[in-house]
Amino acid sequence: MNRKQLDHILKSYHREAYIWARQCCAFDDELAKDVLQQVYLKILEGNAKLKDIEKAKTWLFSIIRYTAIDQFRKQGKVISLDESYEVEDFKEEIDQTDYQAIIQLLPKMQQEVILMVFYHQMTIEQSAEVLQIGLGTARTHYDRGKKKLKELITKVQIQEDYGK
Amino acid sequence: MENNEQLERFFEQMKKQDEELHIPPFPEYKTKRMNLWIPAGIAASLTLVGLIMHEPQPLPEAPNEVLIITLQEGENNEQEFTIEEKAYLDVWESPTASLLTDY
Repeated sequence: MNRKQLDHILKSYHREAYIWARQCCAFDDELAKDVLQQVYLKILEGNAKLKDIEKAKTWLFSIIRYTAIDQFRKQGKVISLDESYEVEDFKEEIDQTDYQAIIQLLPKMQQEVILMVFYHQMTIEQSAEVLQIGLGTARTHYDRGKKKLKELITKVQIQEDYGK
Repeated sequence: MENNEQLERFFEQMKKQDEELHIPPFPEYKTKRMNLWIPAGIAASLTLVGLIMHEPQPLPEAPNEVLIITLQEGENNEQEFTIEEKAYLDVWESPTASLLTDY
């Protein structure tokens, strides 16, 4: 694949790539910009190669995710992989339109699978490829994430209605 | 049949909110293409300077006289130096040259 084709692919996914980078960086805009910059450099310098053009989006999302994790590690931040099912009581009141805050209440892996499926219109298989996990594991994250997010949305709504 | 209406609505609203986001422009990365005329010009200039600066120098002439310093054993088993002055090295004969011819 030549440079022009690669440029074209990256440009066509740029908006989605930035939004995904932001979601991987706990919605931190500046960090997302840095991560995306690093991702593009990795790709254009040939450190990450696209083998199958059909899987361009999965490939790009995967690089973004790993670069974001790497960046978090460099900054000494720890990503919680806690998979506890119970919806914890959130101390602060969350606005039901604060979607970012609500989604961040999910465990990281569930958050990522749910975002990829519902926000980025990807399949569970594709999200499994991005996360480099088995399809069964991805399905588990998807089912748990969905159930948990529904509970969270309801809880936030009740909290807001009760507060009124 | 999955009932994901609630979630779909949630993400639709989230996407709507994200439309307000400022997306940074796609960065333009330019590949560094080196102009081949620049290194070629430098190489040509260096060669030219080298040719001008490097004038052929005459070979040093062989000295007319050569000093031969030999360490010899004296009459009283003492080591002594003998210094001879010859016109050129080819007239000097090694003291052990006979060994080469005898064996």
